[in-house]
Amino acid sequence: MEKILLRNIGIADSHTLATYTSQGGYKSWQKVVQTMKPGQLIDEIKASGLRGRGGAGFPTGMKWSFVPKDNPKPKYVVCNADESEPGTFKDRLLIEQDPHAVIEGTLIAAYAIQSHTAFIYIRGEMVFGAKRLERAVAEAVDAGYIGKNLFGSGYDIDLIVHRGAGAYICGEETGLLSSLEGARGWPKLKPPFPATHGLFGCPTVVNNVETLAALPWILERGAAAYAALGTEKSKGTKLFSVCGHIAKPGVYEVEMGYPFKKFLEEDCGGVPNGKKLKGVIPGGGSMPVLLPDEIEKVNLDYESVQAAGSLLGSGGVIVMDESTCMVRATLNLSRFFAHESCGQCSPCREGCHWMEKILHRIEYGQGEQGDLDLILNIAGNIAGNTICPFGDAAAWPPGAFIRKFRGEFEAHVAERKCTVPH
Amino acid sequence: MDPVKITIDGKDVVTTKGKTVIQAADDVGIPIPRYCYHPKLSIAGNCRMCMVEIEKMPKLQISCNTQVAEGMSVLTQSPRVLAVRKAVLEFLLINHPVDCPICDQAGECWLQDYYMEHDRQESRFEVGKVHDRKREIFGPNVIFDGERCIKCTRCVRFCQEVTKTDELAVINRSDHSTIALFDDAVLDNPLSANVVDICPVGALTDRDFRFKVRVWYLQKTPSICPGCSTGCNISVEAYQNRIARFKPRVNEAVNSHWLCDEGRYCFHDLAGGERLSAPMIRQEGGLVPVTWEQALSAVHNGLKSAVPLAGILSGRNTNEEAFLFAKLMKKIAPDCALEVFYQERELTEVQKILISPDRSPNFRGAQAMGVSDGGFEPLMQKLLSGGFAGAFIVGEDLIESAANPEAMRAALQKLSFLIVQDTRVTETTQLAHMVLPATHFGEKEGTYTNRKGRVQKLNAALIAPEGALQDSEIFLRLLELAGEKNDYTTPAEIFAALSREIPDYANIDYESIGDQGIGLGTGGGGAS
Repeated sequence: MEKILLRNIGIADSHTLATYTSQGGYKSWQKVVQTMKPGQLIDEIKASGLRGRGGAGFPTGMKWSFVPKDNPKPKYVVCNADESEPGTFKDRLLIEQDPHAVIEGTLIAAYAIQSHTAFIYIRGEMVFGAKRLERAVAEAVDAGYIGKNLFGSGYDIDLIVHRGAGAYICGEETGLLSSLEGARGWPKLKPPFPATHGLFGCPTVVNNVETLAALPWILERGAAAYAALGTEKSKGTKLFSVCGHIAKPGVYEVEMGYPFKKFLEEDCGGVPNGKKLKGVIPGGGSMPVLLPDEIEKVNLDYESVQAAGSLLGSGGVIVMDESTCMVRATLNLSRFFAHESCGQCSPCREGCHWMEKILHRIEYGQGEQGDLDLILNIAGNIAGNTICPFGDAAAWPPGAFIRKFRGEFEAHVAERKCTVPH
Repeated sequence: MDPVKITIDGKDVVTTKGKTVIQAADDVGIPIPRYCYHPKLSIAGNCRMCMVEIEKMPKLQISCNTQVAEGMSVLTQSPRVLAVRKAVLEFLLINHPVDCPICDQAGECWLQDYYMEHDRQESRFEVGKVHDRKREIFGPNVIFDGERCIKCTRCVRFCQEVTKTDELAVINRSDHSTIALFDDAVLDNPLSANVVDICPVGALTDRDFRFKVRVWYLQKTPSICPGCSTGCNISVEAYQNRIARFKPRVNEAVNSHWLCDEGRYCFHDLAGGERLSAPMIRQEGGLVPVTWEQALSAVHNGLKSAVPLAGILSGRNTNEEAFLFAKLMKKIAPDCALEVFYQERELTEVQKILISPDRSPNFRGAQAMGVSDGGFEPLMQKLLSGGFAGAFIVGEDLIESAANPEAMRAALQKLSFLIVQDTRVTETTQLAHMVLPATHFGEKEGTYTNRKGRVQKLNAALIAPEGALQDSEIFLRLLELAGEKNDYTTPAEIFAALSREIPDYANIDYESIGDQGIGLGTGGGGAS
């Protein structure tokens, strides 16, 4: 398969402008500015079938089209580079190794909604990536890809790299906007939505790094070429970052609809050391875990994974072999979410740590009868009742792990210790 | 405004476009529990207590942030709604210390009330509560208990949006989130204690009221703040015939939901001090108690003989008292100079949100009743320069409030006849030839007219001490001694009399003033 997102990865000095332009970089940007009308650009991306790669899979062109054209306020585009979903490290690769693709994509999105100020909000811990992006933006400014009256068109664009301070919640788009405004990184109430009331109350589009990095290729080859890849509803290719008990962990670009089992066993080399697969999280730490038999017929596209009871999410694949204690794995995830809950709304603020504390006592041999049902009940009371999707993200993993590995949890409670042979 | 028809729990409700579901429900008295929602603050949507079920919406919605739409069908009592309320209450309570027996909020706590109404389950939480700061002093009037806090952020939003002083912020994350003073700030703005009122739980309590009395013992009387001429509507809350606290009462025409700190605590001064309990006449060796008959007779004789005479009425006297005072003084000494106490001061921008520049809640009413004769300041100048032989001072300590107290003391000492009618011993009463013990704002019924011309009603929250008389009774008895017998005695009767004589008050009916007051010129109820 021809690589779209990873096409420059592996080329020497792929992060530099010279390498990027030698591979045809910024041609799409020039074409867009010189030859396309914003509406035409939006239609092209709609036709490509590109969907948001941050986790929710919302159609990108449609998201852009929600921005009102007659609103007198400034409009903003924000590249969400706050990648922090457990098990997810695909954006980081693009940011560090192909920053110009991220920048070019961000500029194209800005042009689509006629924004003149765009931001790349990068996770605070990604110091190296932030430096690469800042360097790349400076190069692009010097080369005339960012600035005023680009290519003599009269179109102006400014691009600002902004570093977050290390909170997971700032990857949630409205939490990100609050943080970018200089406020506490608290998600905002919706409605109103960012398309009309986003950054500083102005119309705003927030797109994921991977989504934006696909734009130059789509405009280079055309929407049809992109739409020819993938399945009926899930077009193009997607990055998967694979980690855990897998022979060849790393970032893979896969055509949508690729068989999950084949991907794990052939592309990623399967579970190493002769161990058996016990479970796999397909889309980042917040997505429900799938059992080996559940992935038999699953393909790597939004619909297929959803049909299996999980979500494609960010594409962060976490593989667990038979030596994994699922109580400990659940505790690990719950501890993360309890720590990262922003604390704004009651169910998530109070409930996440409650679940974590109960899991903690089960893991350390202090579990009580009824604990499992209590966790499921708490998870049910959080999910769907919070300001932002974080509540769901925190509630789903314990729910799925307990339902699918109930016997193991019960044994942990009954025997007051781990029963999984490691 | 465009009407919008919705149904709430099957009941047809006509509301207006732009309203939220919780507002529409509030308007028709359908209760939806809430913590973070406050009608005067921005929507935070964080407590999740006000969730309702809306037809065609798969998820429950927070009613505070959901706008009404034509044909919307809202359920506030469905099984899903009741279940989520119970769940939210459980979340809010798991880390709460449940220290109601030692919490001042007990009895008016929204956690207690909603727990009884919507939760009523045993705790399922056995894994160790989060601890937080206890008894942290936020400012001169407010103290914080972090463990009782539900992080509704009403206090934070109040300081951001109403006073715009930004003292408070949320810090930390997850269940360690807490409210804190921002950097080196102190919660010391002129409206700071309102955060105690809007705190739905026991996290923010009033340092003045703390540990004084259980709230269910309080006797609550609707009244008007005597602090300045804004006329904030208050509830005077008393225990064992002493004022324990003021709380604001909502009146959108006056103070909205708020009360300033100066007004809130002014009762300590105005209802405090060493009470006068018997009329006194100066004889050799000092002030000697006499009977009311002796005192009033002496006052009557003195007023007749002291020429020129000044009559100075407190700005805290009611319209009814001012009406009688003017009548009395003009009857006995037609040439006397009458004024209501009035001094202004500079205010900061935050003070201006609520506070008027004076300390005379009824100066406007008193002036309308005829206690007005060229201004208070000129009268003071004349008094200081020895322009009067006698003075009748009601309810004011002129020495304390004077710019130059020694000059005022000297001027008062020179008077041949000084009557002071007050509630407590002051420097001025100590110079008087005659002292008449009267009542303060908390012991009387009557009306105040605020700076903007709104007539509002005071109610007696306390029983006046034995030996003191109502100011109105003193004036009526003096009038009788002067030969004028009137057929009115109660505030309502006096108000009816004054409304016959004072044109601006002609259309106002005493009963229809009610708890919200009536604007002058807007007419009253029955009498118009």
